Amino acid sequence: MSTSLDQFASSVRNLSATGNFEKLNELCNKSKDLLSKNYGQLDDILQTFDLQEHSLGILTILVCKAALDGAKDDEALLHLIEDFIAGCSSEQVKSALDNYNSLIHSYTNFLVLKKQAIRGIIHLQKAITKIRLHQSQLTFIHADLCQLCILAKCFKPALKFLDVEINSIAKDAGPSEVKYFLLYYYYGGMIYASLKNWDRSLYFFEVALTTPSMAISMIMVEAYKKYILVSLILDGKFPSLPKYTSSIITRFSKNFSSPYKNLATAYATHDSNEVSNVIQKYSATFNADNNMGLVKQCLVSLHKKNIQKLTKTFLTLSLNDMADRVQLSSAKEAEFYVLKMIEDGEIFASINQKDGMVVFLDNPEKFNSAKVFRKLEDEMKTCIALDENLRKMNHEIAINPKYLHKIRVEPE
Amino acid sequence: MASNNVEPMQLDMPMDDGSSAEGGDIGSTWNDTSYSSNYLVENPTLDLEFYASCYSGMAKIQRLLFIADHCTSLRVDALKMALNYIKENTFNTSLYTQIYCRLTEALKQQGLTPEKVIGQIDSAWIESRSKKGASNLEKLDTDLKNYKSNSIKESVRRGHDDLGDHYLKLGDISNALKCYSRSRDYCTSGKHVVNMCLNVIKVSIYAQNWNHVMSYVSKAEGTPEYSPNSPIGTKLHCAAGLADLANKKYKSAAKHFLAANFDHFTPDYWEILSPNNVAIYGGLCALASFNRSELHRLIITSSSFKLFLELEPQLRDAISKFYDSKYASCLSIASEMKDNLFLDIYLAPHIKILYNMIRNLALVQYFSPYLSADMNKMAAAFNTNVNALENELMQLILDGQIQARIDSHNKIIYAKDVDQRTVTFEKAFNMGKEWQKKTRALILRSAMLENGNIIVRSPPQTRGDDGSNPVTQNNHTASISVVAK
Repeated sequence: MSTSLDQFASSVRNLSATGNFEKLNELCNKSKDLLSKNYGQLDDILQTFDLQEHSLGILTILVCKAALDGAKDDEALLHLIEDFIAGCSSEQVKSALDNYNSLIHSYTNFLVLKKQAIRGIIHLQKAITKIRLHQSQLTFIHADLCQLCILAKCFKPALKFLDVEINSIAKDAGPSEVKYFLLYYYYGGMIYASLKNWDRSLYFFEVALTTPSMAISMIMVEAYKKYILVSLILDGKFPSLPKYTSSIITRFSKNFSSPYKNLATAYATHDSNEVSNVIQKYSATFNADNNMGLVKQCLVSLHKKNIQKLTKTFLTLSLNDMADRVQLSSAKEAEFYVLKMIEDGEIFASINQKDGMVVFLDNPEKFNSAKVFRKLEDEMKTCIALDENLRKMNHEIAINPKYLHKIRVEPE
Repeated sequence: MASNNVEPMQLDMPMDDGSSAEGGDIGSTWNDTSYSSNYLVENPTLDLEFYASCYSGMAKIQRLLFIADHCTSLRVDALKMALNYIKENTFNTSLYTQIYCRLTEALKQQGLTPEKVIGQIDSAWIESRSKKGASNLEKLDTDLKNYKSNSIKESVRRGHDDLGDHYLKLGDISNALKCYSRSRDYCTSGKHVVNMCLNVIKVSIYAQNWNHVMSYVSKAEGTPEYSPNSPIGTKLHCAAGLADLANKKYKSAAKHFLAANFDHFTPDYWEILSPNNVAIYGGLCALASFNRSELHRLIITSSSFKLFLELEPQLRDAISKFYDSKYASCLSIASEMKDNLFLDIYLAPHIKILYNMIRNLALVQYFSPYLSADMNKMAAAFNTNVNALENELMQLILDGQIQARIDSHNKIIYAKDVDQRTVTFEKAFNMGKEWQKKTRALILRSAMLENGNIIVRSPPQTRGDDGSNPVTQNNHTASISVVAK
């Protein structure tokens, strides 16, 4: 028994030294059974390995340890994993992404179960930087980071990753890539929603929904519900999915979204009483879906939208009239809304408290300052860069042998 | 067949015109009490005798019954006329019985004894008529069979037409439609095709199947016999106008009615529309949908439509008042006419919409020359109060029909000058953002496809693990992101 373990240890050492990671990886995968059977001696072997030099060996042992029952209460194991993340050789782990990812996933799960989400954030950040080839590559442990950030209510660390535009996706052989891809965009959408960056949130949910699909994942179902709510808050209308959405989504979305659809219909009437009624009617569903907070924000956004509409039609309006028109309970509440909207730059107005009038102004932005020019230039640069990127991708496809082969055969 | 007929119509007119939406079998649907447009007209100034004399056949019956449905004061007279007409001209015994029952009820409500006023129900007539009707039907049917076996095309065509006519007299619209459209295969000349089309159009109008009307109008227009200025052309224009009216395409309806020629309306020209109808339908639609120059060019200075308008002096006055910007008097004339218009079977569902459109147009035109306007004066010009006016204006501004803003404090409305430069900048920024977003989505999407593994599949058994677990996990995480207010 122990001889085969020794053999494993020595071959790990040998292969690591020669730098033949592929073979080493193969060996490691083969030895998993052996290692799990000899649980007691794993720690001894571990001590003979060096973090940097024998990362793959350690990784295999850690994966085996993490797969055991009761591993989550093994504080020592958590420390081992954290040390491993900090010290492993990024070159080596890149050749064993599936093991690495599964180790990170189990680590995340342990923390979630232990309710220590905030502890893992910093380690996961490191873990991601270890394996991604460049900044804009998506790995499958991005989703874990977002999950921890949400649980820890600490969104900033995730933003650093979310704000980067993704243009390639890491590959590993695992069967559940899609799950983590969907989760990343679902969690991302939730993070942006809670930071009230509705635009981005909508985009993230949309990505989750437009993922090519032949079946509907529950993640998509939940994403669709939130997608509707965010769209109501942002644009005040029921969203229409892009054309390239898989047909199965459009076909089945009706089945599970009817309370949300009704809410959107009520919203479209601009009547806040109507919306309140619908919320009341479906409150059980909304609560069960944990979307009540967003639903309530829909109501607030309706009030705001109605006030914004008033600015288009009125120059002056008394607070009483305003409360009347947007169906707020009192002039005081109307004043509160107006004040808040002025502060947030959503409307341009001033309140005359003496006679309770609101004076609506035009947008003071005249688009004639250097700042605007600068912004315009920046936007244009972004567009040009994106266009360049597209061209490059197009070019790459154009010279792809497979593609060339295909178009050469087709004319016949 | 009856249900076939009803369905497309309900698709056409989902609005508030349940009363007119049933067609298929008149006899069975008129006593349907679930009208969605259940209104009553109080004080019509309609001359029922004259009104009824304009129409004949099924159109007359339908119109009289419509009036009876919506006007208590004219109910008895209308029903009486319908009853007499049916007795003299048709074989529709079931409708006769129904109308008789309704009439007795109506008379009872007025405290009269029905037997004294209209006598007993004429059961001898019913019996003889239903016998006659059945034997006629049989005769025509055997005739048709003979023609068919002899395969004389022209006779078969006529046989179908005759059978259709007879079905119409029996009140069976769906069978009439079947017969008329069957004759299509036996048409040998363009004239026959036009004739067939007109028959189908007539029946489809009775059934209020407007899609049918439109398609047969265009079929008829495709024949070589058709010319826009012929009597047939006028008929087709009117039919198309009616269909457009029913489909709420008011502008195109107005144009169709305006193309009608007054001289073609000889007394027994067409049982469906009277020249008065053309004047009112066309005039109202035009008033609601034309701009000033169109109104001037196509209505007020139009010599042909003038002849129609002479028949309806009230409407003529309203139009000229509207053009002279005397909106208050125009609107008051229009509201005087309203009651009578509500008794028109085809126009009634659209009256409210048309009147709203006219009023909005008037408001827009009133304000168009001003930079600022006193809302008190404006309210006076439109027979309304300032608050109601404010709401109306607000709606118009939101719809983008008036570029203005309201000073609610001083009750003044100011025209708003839009700074095109600012608008352009705003548009450009938005456009740029939109493009960036779309392009990024595109790049991401090609990355997904390139990866090859990003496809949601339902895995054979591990579905539960893959799909639902993360979500149940999410559910407790989700509660956090939801920031309750």
